[in-house]
Amino acid sequence: MRGSTRAKWVVSAAVIAMAATACGGSSDDDKGDEGKGGDSKGIVRAYWSDPQNPLEPSNTNEVQGGKILDMIFRGLKEYDPKTGAAKDAMAQSIDTKDQQNFTIKIKSGWKFSDGTPVTAKSFVDAWNYGAYLDNKQLNAYFFSDIDGYADVHPDKEGAKPTAKTMKGVKVVDDTTFTVKLTQKFSTWPSRLGYKAYSPLPEAFFKDHAAWLKKPIGNGPYKLESYVKGQGAKLRVNAGYSGTDKPKNGGVDLKVYTDGNTAYSDLQAGNLDLLDGLPAAALTNVKTDLSGRYINQPAGIIQTISFPLYNKKWGTEKAKKVRQGLSMAIDRKSITEKIFQGSRTPAKDFTSPVLGAPGGYSDGICGELCEFNPTKAKQLIQEGGGIPGGKMTISVNGDTGSHKDWADAACNSINKVVGNDKACTTNLVGTFADFRNQITKHEMTGPFRAGWQMDYPLIDNFLGPIYKTGASSNDSLYSSKKFDKLLNQANAEADTTKAIQLYQDAEKLLVQDVPAIPLWYQNGDAGYSDKISNVTLNAFSVPVFSDITVK
Amino acid sequence: MPDQIEKTDPGIVDAGTVVVDPGLTPEPEREKPRSLWDDAWRDLRRNPVFIVSSLLILFLVILSLWPGLFSSTSPLSCDLSKSRQTSESGHPFGYDLQGCDVYARTIYGARASVTVGVCATAGVAILGSVLGGLAGFYGGWWDSVLSRITDIFFGIPILLGGLVFLSVMKDRSIWTVVSFMILLGWPQIGRIARGAVITAKQQDYVQAAKALGASSGRIMIRHILPNAVAPVIVVATIALGTYISLEATLSYLGVGLKAPTVSWGIDISSAAVQYRNAPHMLLYPAGALSITILAFIMLGDAVRDALDPKLR
Repeated sequence: MRGSTRAKWVVSAAVIAMAATACGGSSDDDKGDEGKGGDSKGIVRAYWSDPQNPLEPSNTNEVQGGKILDMIFRGLKEYDPKTGAAKDAMAQSIDTKDQQNFTIKIKSGWKFSDGTPVTAKSFVDAWNYGAYLDNKQLNAYFFSDIDGYADVHPDKEGAKPTAKTMKGVKVVDDTTFTVKLTQKFSTWPSRLGYKAYSPLPEAFFKDHAAWLKKPIGNGPYKLESYVKGQGAKLRVNAGYSGTDKPKNGGVDLKVYTDGNTAYSDLQAGNLDLLDGLPAAALTNVKTDLSGRYINQPAGIIQTISFPLYNKKWGTEKAKKVRQGLSMAIDRKSITEKIFQGSRTPAKDFTSPVLGAPGGYSDGICGELCEFNPTKAKQLIQEGGGIPGGKMTISVNGDTGSHKDWADAACNSINKVVGNDKACTTNLVGTFADFRNQITKHEMTGPFRAGWQMDYPLIDNFLGPIYKTGASSNDSLYSSKKFDKLLNQANAEADTTKAIQLYQDAEKLLVQDVPAIPLWYQNGDAGYSDKISNVTLNAFSVPVFSDITVK
Repeated sequence: MPDQIEKTDPGIVDAGTVVVDPGLTPEPEREKPRSLWDDAWRDLRRNPVFIVSSLLILFLVILSLWPGLFSSTSPLSCDLSKSRQTSESGHPFGYDLQGCDVYARTIYGARASVTVGVCATAGVAILGSVLGGLAGFYGGWWDSVLSRITDIFFGIPILLGGLVFLSVMKDRSIWTVVSFMILLGWPQIGRIARGAVITAKQQDYVQAAKALGASSGRIMIRHILPNAVAPVIVVATIALGTYISLEATLSYLGVGLKAPTVSWGIDISSAAVQYRNAPHMLLYPAGALSITILAFIMLGDAVRDALDPKLR
């Protein structure tokens, strides 16, 4: 008897094991279906990396999350894919007489992908949600110019908000709302294409958890599923009212943890679109893809940021070290040898795509961005040497070949300080992990920071990154002078004068070195022969809705 | 080691040479009967595989002790302007992506591999034979507990364990990697040692020693250890090569050694993606790694042949 009981156990264990493996098999079958698409129009399979946060528009300030939000949301404005100029999307009109009080009318007839209409309230509620302190939204900073922000998001640590909504935003009727800013801000409407200003459906507030699992937006695509670590499936949003209706059946974003793997997949035909090619592929990409390769200037600047909240790096004395490190990095060699010339050494904190009238200037950083080993060594020594004698440059491993340049930058620094082991690269596996460590302010040494512009104005390269308490101020840099200059510049109606003020503020950054400008990055992408009409917009994100599938 | 074993010989001989090695027939011209070790050594000296691998290993050990003898260039001083260039005079293996001298890096990389391999093997052999030996000798609950612990560690796949344990360690030195390998590697040796001790324990000479009133310690060290250590040595020597390749694998995956430590695994990892344009970056460290592992595995094979008479 005993024997037979045991046998039963063995059999049932085997059955369970088989059921478990069968489970794995069925999910494989799902993947098989994916290729067929099921739609008359084909599906684009594109490279992706997991976003840092759940996809709330006001909580996403990084590129990978921005990529998908761009597809599932449409704001008041959108930016022309070619020129980057802001034009009306959901906005019918944005009127102001004094540059401080705005009346915003939205187009009627727009719907969220769940069928509910987009109204003025959708915007106002979304903005109030984004600004409210207790919601801990990374992009709260973008509402800080609105009157009443200080009540819902007090600056002081530990302070409780005294209001739930901003008094500066008011719903007039279904399609109209008004906004009062704390001061004059002439270019404010051009900001409104940024995803932080997206409208949110009622479902977001009613069942928040369900919304986070499957975000509902008003963009050209709707999210069908998202599995962390695997990817997201986006399909055409049939009820989309915008002009840029998708020319394909949808997009499957596939998560990769290494750009080189993605590149192999692209060559093998398992991937259609890879933006941000790995450095190792740059030498052969033109022949490999027989011309299916885009390389164009983009509003991206790469920097090394310092954790100014860390005692070792934040002191006045360490400032000299930071300046010295900036001069110790041989940008020219790195851009040529590692990136095959697809990057240009940086000479300021913005990007050449802004153009001189937009505020770009190659004379801002001056000698501090030039490789000068003697001066660099001198500055580092004056500042007491590299804090603790050793430093790491933290980078993420899954995008952009960051380890390659960080190694090269470290070698360059090591040569200057004359110690082979002074600087090493600290590799963090994934972009999401890396961003988490940064936003939690856990960094103990310099770390990579890249900035891809959100809207094509110089203010976007300065305010969100270096203003006190700003959303992407990862260094926790704080300078009263800088903040004041930025506020003055924002209020200035005359563009030339405003630019002058912005550049004055930028010069402060050069001296304070919260970050070292490294190089301007081109936007690049390779694509398979299955898709065509591939372009990158001014932000170097692929224009997914234009892509056609053979 | 051999000296100590010589000393133990009388004990063994007293107990009966035939039991130690039944196949042993004393040569007439020698007065003292040869032990297992003498026999093995005589065998090894005539084995070309052993000679070649020992010479290679000797070279590798010298290489890792004094890499400066072979290369005057520092593996960490790199000149980016020479990125990915092929060989030139004074730099026979060319340069890697960062413009570091591949020859220097290959030479200096031997140290990490050999250190990790030797230390991990020594650690595994000592920890495994002590724990396994005690379990085998005392038996009872002590044996049961240790055997179950062995099973638990045995169940953890070493590569998966490495990805999990090592990725959470922020500062990984050679010793972190070595300790990790010892932690997950000892059960294999532990089991073998336990088996060998149990076999040895039942031999007549041990029973005789017991009957004569020898203490446990004396029995263990004088009678059991010399007779149970052979299989441990065989397995450990073969494992040495495996540990070297494991270090390279872990470093390749980014959870092993970290720069500025020079390691073949790290170099292979960064060279792999450059293979099409700069194959020399990959071939030299990968070749060095293969030769090293081959040398240790060949040595292990030769030692096994010599020490395990059943296979002959």
